[in-house]
Parts: sequence; structure tokens; C-alpha cells
Amino acid sequence: MTVRSDRLRTGIAEFDSMLFGGFMRNDAVLLAGSAGTGKSTLGMHYLMQGAAEGEAGIYLTFEELPDHLYRDAENFGWDLRKLEGEGKLRVLCTSPDVLVESEGLQAILEGPIKQMNARRIVVDSLSHFNMFIEPEDLRLQVYRNVMFFKAKNLSSILIWESPQISGQSFAVSDEGVSFLTDAIVLLKLIEIDSALKRGIVIMKMRGSQHDHRLREYEITPTGIKVHGAFVDYQGLMGGSPTKSSSERFAEFFGKAAKGKSR
Amino acid sequence: MHITAARHVGDILSVPAENGKELLQRLLASEVKGELLTLFHRNPGLVDTMDGVARRIGRSRPEVEADVKDFLDMGLLKSIQAGKMSLVSFNVEKDKEVQASLAEYLRRAVK
Repeated sequence: MTVRSDRLRTGIAEFDSMLFGGFMRNDAVLLAGSAGTGKSTLGMHYLMQGAAEGEAGIYLTFEELPDHLYRDAENFGWDLRKLEGEGKLRVLCTSPDVLVESEGLQAILEGPIKQMNARRIVVDSLSHFNMFIEPEDLRLQVYRNVMFFKAKNLSSILIWESPQISGQSFAVSDEGVSFLTDAIVLLKLIEIDSALKRGIVIMKMRGSQHDHRLREYEITPTGIKVHGAFVDYQGLMGGSPTKSSSERFAEFFGKAAKGKSR
Repeated sequence: MHITAARHVGDILSVPAENGKELLQRLLASEVKGELLTLFHRNPGLVDTMDGVARRIGRSRPEVEADVKDFLDMGLLKSIQAGKMSLVSFNVEKDKEVQASLAEYLRRAVK
């Protein structure tokens, strides 16, 4: 797997390897997943890595107040207040309707972008626009945001709170938001053998190769760790995982061998 | 974007020891003021409408309006215009001044 050095790393080594080095500069990435999948944590990883590499970043939150983020980040050993003091990070909080206002983005972000020469941004989350605008206007709103970030040379992660996705057809969002972004990463909860596991997959990455496999990940005390692919199962995306034929054969063979030895 | 320079109560802040009591009383004149100070101290990156600020402390706009305006007058909060929308944010620099004034007042009071 070729790892490109001009990519924006997230700091999650195995995930960066899935991205062939990281996200592409100035790209808008849609990070979708249901509650409890670690979307905000992944977004925070991205900003922490940026800060470590000298790229300042902005975390723009609508629902969650910054003090909750400071506390949650502390659990992973990240001191956001210290980074803010050093001018490497800014946690901003506003109501989504402010960004719907024509000059809202400018009013909120222009200052921090200039003061820190910010290069990365995480928006948590686009789904909150739903409360203030009609579904048919959402696409235009997201388009405006994406274009603003690109014009300001910001590489963005746009978080999308999706319901637990299952079934045969797959759609990140019904509003066509996924077409506006350059990359889509999906975080998914998967039930296997009565245990809830987490899976990460890169659905799309414009202009770049990427790992197409659904990989298992976990949220550890130091952040997200990505493991191998779910090689022994099929139908995970559809929500009805079954063991692959080779796995069934191995299981059957194992049982038969056990029976003989008795 | 227009950042409005709020009217400061310089007379209070520039004579810390004598007017410290007045400053303290003004800062904590109501329960809502205490809640607003806590909110902005914990969340210095909050930039929101009056309604948004009210919502975040579980209050309604009429309940917070007068106290937010007083903090704007004191310079503790800044007003930012976003199109037709007026937003308020925390003035960290002014807060440092206020804290220094209060610390000075308390230091002298203890003596």
C-alpha cells in the first residue's frame, strides 16, 4: 500500500493507512455514523494530529457545549484548553441557524481562521441544520459551507448523525449531501454473535485509492484503534451478517474432527 | 462582520479598590447573571444569538435580555453582527481586567 506524504493524517495509524496516508488537502469529508460510534472522537483525532503537525484547527459544535468536549477529550489525554492557549485549536459553539444566515459563517469563523491561520475544521454536526431549514434546502446549505471552507483553504470533516444503517440499500443521507463531499467515511455498529462491534469503511474518496474493506475498530482510553477487516463474515453492511462459506466449512470441519476424537 | 465596541464601565474598572464592591454587586446582581458568567467562563468559544444563549442555560430570551445587555455595556460580552442576526460572545480580555480588579479589591479588603 503506497502511503502519500502530502496527505492530512488523522493520527489513527491504521486508518491513515486505509486512506493511503490521510485525507487530501482542502477536501470536504463526510463522516457519518449513528450515536455512539465515535464520530466526534475521530474528528478530535484529526484536529489533534493537525495541531501536532503545526496545522491549527477549529472544532465547530452546535449541540454540545465546549466544556463537555474539554472533559471528553481529557479522558483521551488531550488538553484542548492548553492547545487553545497555544493558538493551535479553537472550540467554537453556536446555533445552527446562525450558519444558515447569509453572513453567519463569515461572522463566526473569519476571525479564528485569520488569528490561527487555521487549516482544518470539524463541524459537529450537519444534521442539526435539519431543525432550521427544509430538507430541500439542506443541500444548498451544505454546498455553501463546503465552498466557504474550500475558499478559506480549510480541509473539513463534516459530521453527519445518521440512523443506524441497515437493509439492502445504503444511503448516508437522504438529502443528497453525500454528493457534495469529496470523501465519505462511515462508522457503523454491527451485531455479531450477540456482541456489538464497530466497523469503519471508506465509501468514497475522490481522486485517490483507498481501502475498500470494512474494518473493525474500537474506542480505547487513548482514542480510536483500527483493526483488521471482518474477513469471516458477509452481509455486514446489509445488517444481516452471516459467516462466510470458508468459515462455515472450518466450523463444520472442526466440529466433525472433535466428534471423531471422542 | 462588524464587532461593536461595547460601552465600558471604565469608571468602575479603573478604580478597582474603591469600586470593587460595586463591581461585584453588579456582576452578581441576579441569578441569571451568575448563570451567564458560569456559561461563558466554561465555554469561552460560545458565539450565539440571545435566544441561543438563553436556551443554553435553560431560560427564555425575556429572562436573560436585560442581564446580557448589562454585560454588553460592561464590555464583558461583545456584540457581533451576522447579516440581520445579532450574536454575543465572551470578551476574554475584558474578563481578565474584571478579574484583576476584583482580585485587587479582595486583596485590599482582606488587609
